[in-house]
This record gives sequence, structure tokens and C-alpha cells, in this order.
Amino acid sequence: MSSTLFDSSQSLLRCERVGRTYTDGEVTALVDVSLEIRRGEYVAIMGPSGSGKSTLLNLLGTLDRPTSGEIYFEDKPLSALRDLDNFRSRKIGFVFQSFYLLPTLTAIENVQIPMFEGSLSAPQRVRRAGELLESVGMSHRTKHLPNQLSVGERQRVAIARALANEAPLLLADEPTGNLDSHSGSDVLDLFDQLHDERGMTLIVITHSLEVAERAERIIWIRDGRVAEEPVNTAPVAHHQRVHR
Amino acid sequence: MRFTQFICKNVFRRKVRSTLTGIGVAVAISAVVALLGVSNGFEQSSRDMLTGHNVDLIVKHIGAGDFDTTRLDEAIGGQLAQLPEVGQLTPVLEDNVKLKDDSFPVPLRGLPPDSFALQDFQHPAQGRVLAPTDHDSVMLGTILARNLEKKPGDTVVIELKKFKVVGIYQSKSMLENRGALVHLAELQALMDREHQVSEFQIILKPGLAGDSAVVDRIKAEIADLRDADGKPYHLGALTTEQYLNNDNGIKLAGAMAWMTSAIALVIGAIGMLNTMIMSVMERTQEIGILRAIGWRKVRVMRMILGESFALSLGGAVVGTCLAVFLTRIVSHLPAAEGLVRPDVSLRVIITGFLLSLLLGLIGGAYPAIRGASLAPTEALRYE
Repeated sequence: MSSTLFDSSQSLLRCERVGRTYTDGEVTALVDVSLEIRRGEYVAIMGPSGSGKSTLLNLLGTLDRPTSGEIYFEDKPLSALRDLDNFRSRKIGFVFQSFYLLPTLTAIENVQIPMFEGSLSAPQRVRRAGELLESVGMSHRTKHLPNQLSVGERQRVAIARALANEAPLLLADEPTGNLDSHSGSDVLDLFDQLHDERGMTLIVITHSLEVAERAERIIWIRDGRVAEEPVNTAPVAHHQRVHR
Repeated sequence: MRFTQFICKNVFRRKVRSTLTGIGVAVAISAVVALLGVSNGFEQSSRDMLTGHNVDLIVKHIGAGDFDTTRLDEAIGGQLAQLPEVGQLTPVLEDNVKLKDDSFPVPLRGLPPDSFALQDFQHPAQGRVLAPTDHDSVMLGTILARNLEKKPGDTVVIELKKFKVVGIYQSKSMLENRGALVHLAELQALMDREHQVSEFQIILKPGLAGDSAVVDRIKAEIADLRDADGKPYHLGALTTEQYLNNDNGIKLAGAMAWMTSAIALVIGAIGMLNTMIMSVMERTQEIGILRAIGWRKVRVMRMILGESFALSLGGAVVGTCLAVFLTRIVSHLPAAEGLVRPDVSLRVIITGFLLSLLLGLIGGAYPAIRGASLAPTEALRYE
């Protein structure tokens, strides 16, 4: 698990003058956003409420389409993709603030949900979900329903679900927002592990500077614009974590 | 986990609602299976009565289009018997009579002593067959005899006239078993229908019944028969299947069964639609999650339709069992014995299951389209 899967010198995601306007209320959520995220990079997106963070996450995650500009994934424009669902299934894993686990399914069943769009057989799905739960430290809770798990454990299961289809990019929207500090720290440690050991690209949206400082780079969004250009040097906190 | 397991888990998520919807479907399907079962049973009994006596053609008056109320001159039988293809022929006069005040009318058939239909009962279940020398005598079907609690030697009163029971016959046909047989001349006299018959039944000579060209030729010959003055009789010769397809009683029973079934199915479909729409609305956010993690629209549709089909199939299983059970109970009630067959045919059960799938499709299609068309971002925001 220590090998890096991706070439970090390549661009994974690139936004070129991306804008998003909602015509019903004539609200401009994003204006001319240009940024680049390289393979294997760990990026935090910060900004006040209503700044356009979630809109940006939706666009990067192909849940929404920009009204202007273009987003490139592996140098291919997303607007040219016909089957965004399939793309999302293979390339992007999502982690949400409220976990969004299906309440009637056990942990191991929840992890299998994204795999229905893949080619694995039912036994293969079970085996892979078990491995993923083990990798997030949840092998002892595979048969438990979400309401039988602590909030931290639920988020771990949600992370395992995001890894189900081996997507190279993980998008997390306030992943520690509903967690206590201990559980939040555990989740961030898990993100570090995914980044360091699997070489995954992580984009984390957060209000918390403490969370953002675990990333290599912080992108600030204010009033729908990138407020500060990305800095290539890793924050001090990251070095502290790495050398801890 | 298999996709079907996931669907079943969703169905059982709201146990009370799913159960109530399933009951609604079950009632609709049981109505369909029971009513169509009764209607088809009626048709099958009519078929059994004709095929049981090896009847190939039935000749009736075709003038006004209503076969059941027509009268034929008994003498036409002489002309029919002269047709070279006719093997055996029997005139039949049929009427419905009430033998008990509180019971349904029973079919009373008049046959000549040499009729093949009568000779088929040479060895009745009890007593003996009607003899040419018998007067004021009757044979009862087994069901009628049981309902009237009569045995050979007893008397029954038909249209205020006493008849002696000489035998109890057992036919393959349920309808025939709930009827009675008397000599043709006696029924004609009793009903004031001298020299009149309802129909002629024909058995063709061996090997001819299967030749459609021959059958068509005979039918044309019969249709062309005329009286001594050259006036056409307006006869129609029908094969067993044609006869059954044109029988007003069978058509009416079928139409009523389908009408009632259609109402039950519409109610079942509305219940299903309501349940599935509620289910989709409640799970809007969840559907957003599924779409966000890469589920295609078609998979969301498959999930919702799968739930709808699971509910309707579950309802069909329960409904079919209920219908079979009820039909069996009803068929043994004295009032319905001989009218309702105790068995429900496989064809009717398959029809019930196919209709339940249609019901699932109708109930699930709109919610499935609605669920699949939810934008992931909007669905995720939904509370």
C-alpha cells in the first residue's frame, strides 16, 4: 500500500474561467474561476458560507455543469463527456458532511452500493467491501447498521464507500463537520493515509482552518472567485504531520 | 449483495405501507383470478358438455343473431340427417327451470330416446338411463341430485308436473351435472313448444371433423338448407369453439369478469402509484446520493420499478392463493355448486400474474421516471 499509483507531475483537474449562474434567481455563484489540481495533490477549499465552495465542489464532481468556461479532467473537457454518471462512478469518490449512508443497509452493504455500476460479481463485491472496511479500520463493524455506529464510524464507512470503485479523486464536503474533535482527527488521519499511501488526489471543502491545514494547499474562495492564487509550497502543518 | 436483495430491503423498509399496498394488489389480483376463474370455468364446462358427447357441429337459428332464444322446427332434423357427412344427429330442446324456490334455475334438456347424448349415459352413477317407454321420467345430474337430495325412485316437480327420477348421471361437465334430462316430447309438451327444438347437435362421420375444408363445406350446405317452398331456414352450423365464442351467456360472464377485474386493477394501480410516489419523495435525498456516487438514471429506474414489481408480485402470490382458496370454498356452497368450478386453471393464474406485472409497471413507471430525472445537486439539498 506504500506505492504511489499516480504521476504527481500531471494535471488531474483544471478549471478555465469557470462560471456558474443560476438563471431562476439570477444568482452568480462562481465567476471566472481558474485553478489546477495535480494528480496526488491534497487540496483544501476554504471560504465563508455562500462563497461558492459547494458550487465549485458540485462542478468539480460533475454533479453540475458550468454555465461558462470549461473543466478538464486528465486534460479532457468534461463538457465533451456523454455519460457523466459513468465518469463519476469510475473517477470520483464523494464524502459528505452527513455521511448519507443508506439506513437499512449494513456497513458492508453500504460500501457495495457504488459497485453495482461496475463489473464485479456479488461475491467479489462482498470481498472488496470487506477489504475496504478493513482498510478504514472498520472490519469489526461490517454487519452493523448505520444507526448502530458512532458518527466517526459512519464517516469511515462513507470513506470506504467512496473508495469502492478505486476512483483516483476523492471529494469531501465538510467531512468533519458533524464529528467531535477526536473522530474528526481520525478521519483526517485516514485522508492523510489515502493521500500518502495510495497517492489519491483529495479535495476537501471546509470551514475549519485546522482541517485545511492538513492539506498541501489551500484555495480560498470569496464571492464566487478564487481569492488567492494556489501556493505550491505545502503548509507548515502538513510538514508537521508528515514528520510527526 | 445482489441488486435484487437491495430492492427487497427497500420494499421492507416501510413494512406497514408495503404490506397495505401488497394487500391492495392481492385483493385486485384475487378478484381477477377468482372472476376470470369462474368465467373460464363456465366456458370450460360448456366445452366439456359438447366434447364429452363428441359433438362436432351445433346447428342453430342464425336469424336475429341471438342463438339462445331461437326456435327450430324439429322436422329440419330429417334434412340434416340426409347430409352425407353427418354421422349422428340429435335434436336438443333446452330450458331453465326452478326445482326449488330458493335455488338458481337449472338447465333442463329434452332429448329423443335414441339420442347419442342420452346413450352416453347408458351406465349412470345410480339407477338407469331413460328408456323409450318411460313417461314422466327424469334423469338428474349428480350435483342436482345432491342439492335436491333425490335418488332413483323419488319424484321431482317440474313446472307443476311430477316426474319420477329413474337415474342419476355423472357427466364430465359441471354444468350438465347440475341439470336434468327428460324425453324431448315431454319437454316440448311441458313448455308448450310442440315440434320445436333449440338446436341440433351433429357428430360427423369418422375422420371428417379434422378436415377444415370438409367442415366448411358442410357448414355451407347447412346454411343453404331450405323448406319445401324454397324459403331458407337461416341456419348456422358452428364448431364447438365457434359455438362457445358466440354463446351469449359465456360472453356476458367474460365481459362482467373483465369489467369487475378492470375496476379492481385500476384501484390496485392507484394504490401502487401512491405508494411508489411517496417512496420516491421520501427518498429524494437518497436518490441524490445514489446519483452522486455514479448510479445512472436507468439504474435508479430499475430500482424503483423493481420495488414496484416486487410489491405487485408479492400481492399476486397472496391474491392467487386467496382466490384459489375462496373459489374452492364458494364452489362447495349449495347455491353455487355446479356454477363455480373448484379449480382455477393455470391459464387464469398466469393471466393474474401478468396483470400484476402490468400493475407494477403502471404503478412504478411514473415514480421511476420522476426519481431518475432528479438532479443530483437538487436531490442532495432536499430535506
